[in-house]
Amino acid sequence: MTAAPSLTGDLRTGVLPEDAVIVRARGVTKRFGGLVAVNEVDFDIPRGAIVSLIGPNGAGKTTFFNMITGAYTPTAGEISFDGKPLITKSRSKVRSKKPHEVTALGIGRTFQNIRLFGTMSTLDNVRVGLHVHMRSHWWDSVLRTPGMRAEEQASIDRGMELLELVGLETRAEVWARNLPYGDQRRLEIARALATKPQLLLLDEPTAGMNSSETAEMTSFIRRLREELKLTVLLIEHDMRVVMGISDRVTVLDYGEVIAEGTPVEVRANPRVIEAYLGRGAAAEA
Amino acid sequence: MTAPTSPTKPIQMGVIGWLGSLAEAAINVPSAYRQNFRRHPRRTIILTVLIVFGILYPVLNREIFQPWNRQSSFPLPFPEDAVVTFMMILSIMAIGLNIVAGFAGLLDLGYVAFYALGAYTAAFLASPHFGSVSVVLFSQVPPGFPGIHLPFWMLVPLGFSVAALFGVLLGAPTLRLRGDYLAIVTLGFGEIVPVVFKNLSAVNFDFGPIHLVNANLTGGNLGINPIDPPRFFGITFGSNSGIAAVYLGMILLVGAIVIARNLERSRMGRAWMAIREDEIAAEMMGVNLVRTKLLAFGLGASFAGVAGVMQASYQGVTTSDFFMFSTSILILIMIILGGIGNIWGVIVGALTIAFLDKTFLPYLGQRFQAIDPNLPNPSQFNFLIFGILLVVMMRFRPEGFLPSRQRAAELRHAPVGQAIGSAAVMGDAALASEEQADTLAAAQVEAVEAEEAADAAEAPEAPHDDADRPRDGT
Amino acid sequence: MEQIAQTIIIGIANGMIFALVALGYTLVYGIIELINFAHGEVFMLGSFMALVLITTVFKLTADTPLALMVAQVLIVIAITMLATATLNVSIERVAYRPLRNAPKLAPLISAIGMSFVLQNVALLIFGPANDGVDRILPNVNVLSVFGITNVTISAEQVFVALVTIPLLLALSWFVTKTRQGKAMRATAQDPDTAGLMGVDVNRTIAITFLIGGALAGAAGVVQILYNNTTVWNLGFRFGLNSFTSAVLGGIGNLQGAVLGAMVLGLINAFSDRYLAANWTNAIVFAVLIAILVFKPTGLLGQQLADRA
Repeated sequence: MTAAPSLTGDLRTGVLPEDAVIVRARGVTKRFGGLVAVNEVDFDIPRGAIVSLIGPNGAGKTTFFNMITGAYTPTAGEISFDGKPLITKSRSKVRSKKPHEVTALGIGRTFQNIRLFGTMSTLDNVRVGLHVHMRSHWWDSVLRTPGMRAEEQASIDRGMELLELVGLETRAEVWARNLPYGDQRRLEIARALATKPQLLLLDEPTAGMNSSETAEMTSFIRRLREELKLTVLLIEHDMRVVMGISDRVTVLDYGEVIAEGTPVEVRANPRVIEAYLGRGAAAEA
Repeated sequence: MTAPTSPTKPIQMGVIGWLGSLAEAAINVPSAYRQNFRRHPRRTIILTVLIVFGILYPVLNREIFQPWNRQSSFPLPFPEDAVVTFMMILSIMAIGLNIVAGFAGLLDLGYVAFYALGAYTAAFLASPHFGSVSVVLFSQVPPGFPGIHLPFWMLVPLGFSVAALFGVLLGAPTLRLRGDYLAIVTLGFGEIVPVVFKNLSAVNFDFGPIHLVNANLTGGNLGINPIDPPRFFGITFGSNSGIAAVYLGMILLVGAIVIARNLERSRMGRAWMAIREDEIAAEMMGVNLVRTKLLAFGLGASFAGVAGVMQASYQGVTTSDFFMFSTSILILIMIILGGIGNIWGVIVGALTIAFLDKTFLPYLGQRFQAIDPNLPNPSQFNFLIFGILLVVMMRFRPEGFLPSRQRAAELRHAPVGQAIGSAAVMGDAALASEEQADTLAAAQVEAVEAEEAADAAEAPEAPHDDADRPRDGT
Repeated sequence: MEQIAQTIIIGIANGMIFALVALGYTLVYGIIELINFAHGEVFMLGSFMALVLITTVFKLTADTPLALMVAQVLIVIAITMLATATLNVSIERVAYRPLRNAPKLAPLISAIGMSFVLQNVALLIFGPANDGVDRILPNVNVLSVFGITNVTISAEQVFVALVTIPLLLALSWFVTKTRQGKAMRATAQDPDTAGLMGVDVNRTIAITFLIGGALAGAAGVVQILYNNTTVWNLGFRFGLNSFTSAVLGGIGNLQGAVLGAMVLGLINAFSDRYLAANWTNAIVFAVLIAILVFKPTGLLGQQLADRA
C-alpha cells in the first residue's frame, strides 16, 4: 500500500498520473434494456483520498458502485484497480471480474440496506470477511491440523481487533440481527475491513442516523483513512458529511458526471444546484 | 463457535503438534463432561443414558430383548441387528444430506444416486463380478479367486471419492441454478443413475480397443452378489455375523459426526452459513459461491458414498431396486423431522424414521394381521404417513424437533434481510429497542457459555472460569 | 417409413395428453413460482375417477350405442374435471397457501409430501396392480376413409384431439380475453402490484389451480379411453414428461407448454419404439437437465432470475 499522497491540488479525474490513482474508470456505461443507467462515466479515485459520489436519487450512483465491485457487468467501458483491469473485453463481449475476485484484490464495501448475516454472531460476521484471505482447506478443517487451528485462533484475534476498532467488542457473541441499528452499520464496516481492503466503498453510511451519530461516523471514516491508509469512496446524501470529509466530490445526474471538484467548488456549481432544486429536493447547503 | 479468549499458548505445528492436540482433547473430555453436567445436569444425564444404552443395545438386544420376544405372547418392537445397522447407514446419509441442505441450503432430491454409486463401487471392487480378472489385495479371499477383491478399509475412501467426484461433476454446471430448478435437476440425476445401473446388463460396445459383447456390466435387474463382507482383525462384519456389523456401523457414524462437526466449526462452515443467509452479501465479502457450494455438494455426496459401501458390504448384495426416489425423500424427511442444520437433530430424525419404517410399522402390521387378516398393513403405506408428515412439518414446524438455533430463527421470523433493512426506516425507533437487544444479548451470552463448555473438549485451551469473562454491556 | 409415420402419430397423441397436464404445471409456476409436484397425482386420480365412472356408474362398453356413448363420455369428462379441479384447489389451500411467505423451498417440499400422500391414497383404494378397461371407442382406422391402410390413426387418437384442442382454445380465450385471465397474467408478473390494483390475489391463484386441475382431469379421462390403463404411480411418468414439456417450452408460457409437450410425446414414442422403454424415463430426465442447464428459459419463454 502506497503512502497517502499529499491531498492538495487538483484531484479531478484525468489530472493525476497513473500510479497516484487507485481506481481508473473510463467510458463506463450500463444499459438495462432500453434504460441507460450510467452513461460514459470517467472516474478516477486518487490513492488515499476520500471521494464522495453524490447526485439525486436514481442518478446511477449505486449502479456505478456495483460495477466496480463486479456485481454488475458494464455494457461498455473499462475499470482498473491498482493497475489491474477489472473489466476485459473479448470479441465484443464485456467481462467483469466476479465480486469475490474483486474483494480478493482489495475492494471492500458496505450496503445501502444493511446486509448482515443476521443469525450469525457479530464476531462471526467479521470472520466471514476474513474468509477470503484464509488458506485452510476443507481437509485441514476436518483433521483440525495445527495450521488450521492457528488460523482459526488468528481469525478470532483479528476479528476482535476489528470489533474493538468499531467499538463492538463487548457484543461479540450477539446475533447480528439483534444489534441496534447504529451498531449494525458499524458491524458492516468492520466486516468490510476484515477483507483487507485498500479501497473501501461505503454506500450511504450515515443513512438513518441522527446528528451526533453522523458526526461520529464522519470522524470514524477520517480515522480509517489516516490510521489504516485506506482510500474511501462514499455515496452520500447528507451534505454535512460530504462537505466535512471529502477531498473531492463527483456529481452524477441521469447517469452522467455533471460536476467534479472540491466540496466548495461543487456546492456553488449552478448545474449541481439545478439538478437538486430542479427536482424539488432542497439543496442542503 | 469459539468465544473470544485471552491470548492462548502458541499452537504446536507439525504432526507432533497435531497428535498432541488430539491427546489434549482426549484428556479434556472428562472435565468438559463435568462442566456440562454442572450446567445442565438433567440434559447431560439423559444424553449419557441414551448414548450408553445405544452402545449397549446390540448386546442387550441379543441377550435380553429378542429372547424375551421369542417366548412372549406380546412381543415388543425391538429393532433387530439388521435394522440397527441400517439405522447407522441412514444416519450417515442424513448427516451428509444435512451438509448439503442444512449447512449450505441446497435442496438435493437425488441424494440416493450417490448412495448407489458407493454401493456399486463396493460391488465392483469386492466381489466375483468381474470374473474374467483376478485382483486380490489385502483381502481374506484366496489369491487367484475370480473378480476384484479389495478390503473394506480401501473401499471406504474409494466410495467416498467416487461419490464426491460425481457430486462435483453434477454440481459444477448446475449449482448456479435457482433453488427449485436445482432440486429438479438433482432429482433427475437421482433417477438416471439407478436406471443406468439397471440397464447396463447387456452391453454391446465396439470402439477401438474395447470390444464388449453382451457384457453384463452392472448385474442389471438382479444386481451384483455376493459381495465380500468387511473382514478385519479376524472378525467378519457381514449380515450373517451377528452384532459385529452394528458396531462397525456405529464407528463409521462417529466418524461422520466428527467430520461434519469439524466442517461446521470452520471457515467453510461459516461460509456456508453466510451463503444461506445472504448469498450476495457473502459473495461481496469474498466467498467464492460456486466453489463453496460445490464443496458442500461434493462432501455431502461422499457421505452417501460411504453409506453405500457399507450397505453393499454388509448385505452382500446390491441392486438398483434399492435406490429409488423414495429413498432420497426418506432421508429428506429424516433431516426435516429431526432438525435441519443440526447434526444431532438429523441423527435423531434418522433413527426415528428408520425405526418407524423398518421396525414399528411392520410390527403394527403383524399386530393388525393377528387381530384380523383383512386389516390394511401399515408398513405398505409408510409413505402415506411420511407424506403427511412432510406437509404437516413444513406447515407447523419446518425447523424440526431439535432445531439448530439459526434455522429456527430463519424459518420462524420475517426474512432476515427484511428485519434488518427495515431498521433503516425506523432509525431512532430502532435505538429505543436497545434495551430489548441488551436483554436478548444477555440471554445469548448465557447460551453461548454453555456451548463453550462443550467446545473446551476440542480447543486446546484450559477451561476458564466464566465469571471472569466480560459480559455484554449491561 | 410407415413405422416412422406411425410413431409420429402415437407421439402426437400422447403429446396432447402431456399438453393438458403440462398446462397445469406452467400455469401454477407462472403465477406462484411453485413446481406443483402433486399435479401428476391429480391427473392420476382423475384417470381413476374416470375409470370408476365408466365401468361402474355408466357401464360403458364397446357395444354402447354411439350417441349414448358420446353423451356419457361428455358427462364423465365434466364430472371428472369438476372433481380434479376441486382437488387441486383444496391442495393449494392446505399445502401451499399457508406457506406463501415461507422460504421458497418450503412449499416445494410440501408438494412432494402431498404427491406421496395422493399416490398412497390411490394405492390404498385401488391396490398396486394396473387397472384398466377394455377398448370402448370403436376400433376403426380413420385413415382408411382416405384409402390409407398401412398407417393408422385410430378413433381413440381422434378422440384425444377432439378433447384436447377445444380445451386449449378455450384456455387461450380465457387467458387473453377475459378479466379473470388478465388478472392471472397480472398476478403472474407482479403479485404485489396486481393486489394494489384491486386484483384478489388469493382468488386468482385459486382459479389458476382450478383450471390446472380441470385440465388434468380431462387428461385423465383421455388417458383411460386412449391408453386404456391406469395405475397408482402413473402420475410420476406423466408428471415428469409434462413438467419437462413445460420447461422445454418455457415455463410460464402456455403455447410453449403445448409445443414442448408435442416434442416430448415424440421423444417418448421414438424412444419406446427404437430404443427400449427402460431407457425412456432416463432420457426424458436427461432432456430436462439439459434444458435447465443450457437454456433454462426454454424455447419460447422469458428470462427468469438465475438466483432465487
